[in-house]
Amino acid sequence: MRPLDGVRVLDFTWVVAGPVTTRILADLGADVIKVERRGTLDFGDRRGGLSGTLMRGKRSVMFDLNDPRGLELARRLAAASDVVIDNFSARVMTNFGLDYESLVPLRPDIICVRMTGFGLTGPDRDHVSYGPTLQALTGYTLLMAEPDGPPAGFGYSYSDLAGGNLGALAVLAALWHRRRTGRGQLVDLAQLEAVASLLGPVLLARAIDGGVSTPTGNASQEAPGAPHGVYPCAGEDRWIAITIFTDDDWSRFVAALGRPAWTREERFATVASRLRHAGELDQLVGAWTRGQPAEEAMATLQGAGVAAGLVANAEDLCARDPQLAARGHFVDVATPEGRTVRIDGPPFHLSETPARVSGPGPLLGEHTDEVLSSLLGCGEEEIRALREAGVVG
Amino acid sequence: VTDRAPGVAPPPGVLTGLRVLDLCDEKGALAGKLLAGLGADVILVEPPGGGSMRSLPPFWQGAPAADRSIFFWFYGTGKRGITLDVTRPEGAGLLVRLAAQADVVIESESPGRLDALGCGAAALRAGNPRLVVASITPFGQRGPYRDWRASDTVAQALGGMLYVNGHRDRPPLRSLGLQAYHQAGIFAAIGVVSALLARETTGRGQEIDVSLQAAAAAALEHVAGFWHQAGLIGMRQGTLHWTRYFRVGRCRDGYVMHCTVGDWTALIEWIKADGMGAEVDEPTLEDLKIRQAEADRVFAALDAWSARYTVAELVEGAQLRRIPYAAVRAPEALLDDPHLAQRGFFVSIEHPALGRSIPYPGAPFRLGDAHWRVARPPGVGEHNQEVYRDLLAMSPPAGLT
Repeated sequence: MRPLDGVRVLDFTWVVAGPVTTRILADLGADVIKVERRGTLDFGDRRGGLSGTLMRGKRSVMFDLNDPRGLELARRLAAASDVVIDNFSARVMTNFGLDYESLVPLRPDIICVRMTGFGLTGPDRDHVSYGPTLQALTGYTLLMAEPDGPPAGFGYSYSDLAGGNLGALAVLAALWHRRRTGRGQLVDLAQLEAVASLLGPVLLARAIDGGVSTPTGNASQEAPGAPHGVYPCAGEDRWIAITIFTDDDWSRFVAALGRPAWTREERFATVASRLRHAGELDQLVGAWTRGQPAEEAMATLQGAGVAAGLVANAEDLCARDPQLAARGHFVDVATPEGRTVRIDGPPFHLSETPARVSGPGPLLGEHTDEVLSSLLGCGEEEIRALREAGVVG
Repeated sequence: VTDRAPGVAPPPGVLTGLRVLDLCDEKGALAGKLLAGLGADVILVEPPGGGSMRSLPPFWQGAPAADRSIFFWFYGTGKRGITLDVTRPEGAGLLVRLAAQADVVIESESPGRLDALGCGAAALRAGNPRLVVASITPFGQRGPYRDWRASDTVAQALGGMLYVNGHRDRPPLRSLGLQAYHQAGIFAAIGVVSALLARETTGRGQEIDVSLQAAAAAALEHVAGFWHQAGLIGMRQGTLHWTRYFRVGRCRDGYVMHCTVGDWTALIEWIKADGMGAEVDEPTLEDLKIRQAEADRVFAALDAWSARYTVAELVEGAQLRRIPYAAVRAPEALLDDPHLAQRGFFVSIEHPALGRSIPYPGAPFRLGDAHWRVARPPGVGEHNQEVYRDLLAMSPPAGLT
């Protein structure tokens, strides 16, 4: 069994943040039905890879929501679902009559999750956004930079993953509440707030003491310590992250390097003095790492008990990392066409009722007929007529 | 929400009535914070004298002291605090007894360490088969890297989060905030509520194994998928998003985030109305794929145009046209954001020891039927008396707290 066996999720989400939420629900055993439109945006092969990882284990129906008959089908499906979720901007679901207030009369214990950019209230509620927009507004773009350097930020929409993963927690919490109380509810997840909630102590520090945040490159944001950062290795664009916090860490690091003369210098003797001379230390550490492959430097350092890891690119992550392979993080999934596609699995393992990839991503409208017939009792003739009228696909 | 009169019960959160023992250091601290926000009674179990988070910066007014760690305050909100030396057999035994009165234990010790002390998941569950035990470790409970060490930055590196951030000719950059730890905390909380839901059916608890590395890898977007489907390696490319539809540009008074995936026609009409943009006024650029391929020259044209505006003017004009532009600003701008103010994102919590209230960044989402619970972070062993009395009918054990 899985924790969400028997839970049905009607999924209007698109792009990334919403699908990230519902893929976790699918991994946990929920029947996730994507309601899609013709010409919907995707990232190539829907079975595997990026799109398949976002849509893994879900069913897909294609409805024309601009046709009253398509909208009615969606409303009937919503009434047969436990959770209805979307990540449009605030007014879209309201305009469709698929918002919480409209669905409660159909199903009093419905859980509606609205994953908008800015939330359902507030002066900016109708603003439009994507992940990079929200990362800019919350400080990630400006402050992920070298000291005095130009902004860099995330090269991707981390905000979508932040909001998406937190969205799954919101759904689980609402399902728990319903099991305890019998009550559904409306969840207002503003992706702006979700990603802002993950800034951590830096924002609280500004709230308390004022001041101005400045970029700190790869310096530690937890215990102070040096060396701490990313160092070049042999080969093109190869790097290793190394973290030294305590004197014990430093002793193990020095031993792993074979105790070169510079490690015995007074300026590197204590945590405080290493921090004071962090720039010089970085140069010396970089001179050591530069001469060897990242894999070897990592094995040497970890062998000595030092926190170190190569900066994994896609190939390192997916094809070379023995740890993720041992965890079965990437799974090969058979498609109905007889292909095998590779998909990312859930990163948490439950010992008794494990989450797992339920299947590949669905083709657009792949499950329209089976959903219409099994959940709404539509007959073959009725479905054919709806299809010919372009209401479903 | 916060400054309620003494003796008035807080509005119930969804996890009200569930008890969580939180043995985590910074690696897993967000999990307990989230569960506390959802209403669980989260009891932080620290070693005598307090845990490692209390010595981490930033500190209030910059002065390092255990009762001034803003780092601890952020992660400690909503939790009660007790002390217990689990490295001594009597302490480990008491943890087993406390866990018999709990629904959930979350911990972030190295794999096997609590087992060696006699209070690992097996021992805790033996005394309470309904217990859910979540473990957050650098690489998970098994596999060749099981005993390897990691910081947040090292976990980000091996989880693929680092390589794609930064400028092409410069080193990769770690995230702002401890995002490998945060993702692990979120996934641990997801695992805990999932396991509690499963327990409603099975009557039994279970173990949850969360890896920092895998959690970081599960918070990527394009990296793994493009490798799986096309053998492509995503590169870092400065502020240019991998889709090539977003890039930082300059206004008169600061940085702005350009976007070419909104209403392109509206954007071009606006630029043309300003007497500019002839170089990108081409029908072919109405095609998303062409705008993607031609991103360099598209953004160059946008830069030339945006330099005429202030950030505020440009963002307002863009949002009116439903084009997702945004100011590139520092985190502290959120403190003065009228939108967040109206939504009440920051929640004031009184710190009696400081003689003042502090606005804490609040809930990651709003549940319509339950409040997000907030409360001041606990002092060292602040709740020893009440917790040991209520759970074990004893005084705080001498020599162990």
